[in-house]
Amino acid sequence: MSVPTKAGVTEAKIEVRQTTMSMQGFHGKSDFWGQTTLWMLIVMSFVPPIYFSFILGYHPGWGAIAGGLIGYAAFIGIMWFLEPITYYPVLGKSGTYIAFLTGNIANMCLPCSAAAQESIGAEPGTKKAEVAGTLGIAVASLTNIVIIIAVVLSGSFILTIIPQSVQNALQFILPAIYGGVLGQFALKKPLYGLVAFVIGMAVLFAPIFSLIKIVLCVAITIAVVLFIEKSKSGAPE
Amino acid sequence: MDEVLRFANSTPVWIFASIVVAIVIFQALIFIRIASQTAPNIGMTKDETKRALRTGFISSLGPSFGIAVVIISLIAVLGGPFTLMRIGIIGSAATELTAAGIGANAYGVELNSPDFGLKAFTTVVWTMCLGGTGWLIFTALATKSLGKVEKKIVSKNAKMMTIVSTAAMLGAFAYLASQQMVKGYSETVAAIAAGVSMMVILTFAKKREIRWLQEWALGISLVIALTISYLTTLI
Repeated sequence: MSVPTKAGVTEAKIEVRQTTMSMQGFHGKSDFWGQTTLWMLIVMSFVPPIYFSFILGYHPGWGAIAGGLIGYAAFIGIMWFLEPITYYPVLGKSGTYIAFLTGNIANMCLPCSAAAQESIGAEPGTKKAEVAGTLGIAVASLTNIVIIIAVVLSGSFILTIIPQSVQNALQFILPAIYGGVLGQFALKKPLYGLVAFVIGMAVLFAPIFSLIKIVLCVAITIAVVLFIEKSKSGAPE
Repeated sequence: MDEVLRFANSTPVWIFASIVVAIVIFQALIFIRIASQTAPNIGMTKDETKRALRTGFISSLGPSFGIAVVIISLIAVLGGPFTLMRIGIIGSAATELTAAGIGANAYGVELNSPDFGLKAFTTVVWTMCLGGTGWLIFTALATKSLGKVEKKIVSKNAKMMTIVSTAAMLGAFAYLASQQMVKGYSETVAAIAAGVSMMVILTFAKKREIRWLQEWALGISLVIALTISYLTTLI
């Protein structure tokens, strides 16, 4: 485990040209490539609708388009802001850029990031964890896109060679992933695992606007854990 | 509907989808590259870099096949290239299906109805493609600033980031797991089985110092959990 010290400041002055890179350089490059790829994708997102509307000439009218977008924003628009903020402390900078480009954050990116960190014994929130997590998420993104391409191009043929029983079992993949990651972290901090689970259940059944429930659960868990740490003060683990 | 799918599966749309896929692959490769270059500087050995990569790969297989199974429902509605485009980037199958429904309604028809024509489909394309950019734009604009906030917290207290990260992870997954568990008996069994097997595997792997087992921990837990929960449906 690497402990962030004052050394981090001097690292900034080291020129990065060689095959290795400082953490500062890593963050700089993450910002550059993260933003570049995201803006490329944003521009690309305008191409198909414009193609269908104005090249093929099936423009449905701006009223219908605005209606669709307002409906979309009403349904999930708040997550545009809340999800990146909620997941940032776990994903880190580079992880955020990859995860929000490739999607499937809770069911793929986060578990793969956590597993990669665990495999080399990196404590969450450290530099080592950030780099290991980035490697985990990036590989997951790559694997995922390759499998999706294979399924789409084969016209789902790949899925037909997977036995039906396995496909039926795959319907439980979400609870299994979430339970597994919870187990991984609860093993490290059993008390906090329990605290989080109680908060999770309480928030789930609370009569709150459902989209912000997960954000609320993360915020309350962080607050409670910090409070426990503070009252334990002197011996934070 | 046939006409819609003919256009949805036409060559230009495949080209758009290929560009989107290329951006995703390019991004993943560039981040693997810069992370690998940074690793030695922060005390990560070559072996650890390889292990992180391998673990990411093994752990992504289960989730990726889970995603692949849901794709089928989208191909029927949107055609191949749009499915590739939408699932390949931000957006889950559930979100995209809902978005498609919202778009169709905005034009005044239902998805899959005989009236669902090319203009309705174009509305769906606008809704999905632009709706999804919300996350992309916010992430592109705000991530750098979020990093500065994080840095302030770290400079105040280095230990704090570890605690906040762990708590955030626990909070998110406690909620997600709870949400799945209340769905039914088999889901509860799946979550508990995965959680318990994860703890057992990791404890065992650490005690005996079996590194490969640590890499396979999530993958094996998923297989155990899926098997047990599937068996509960047969009873």
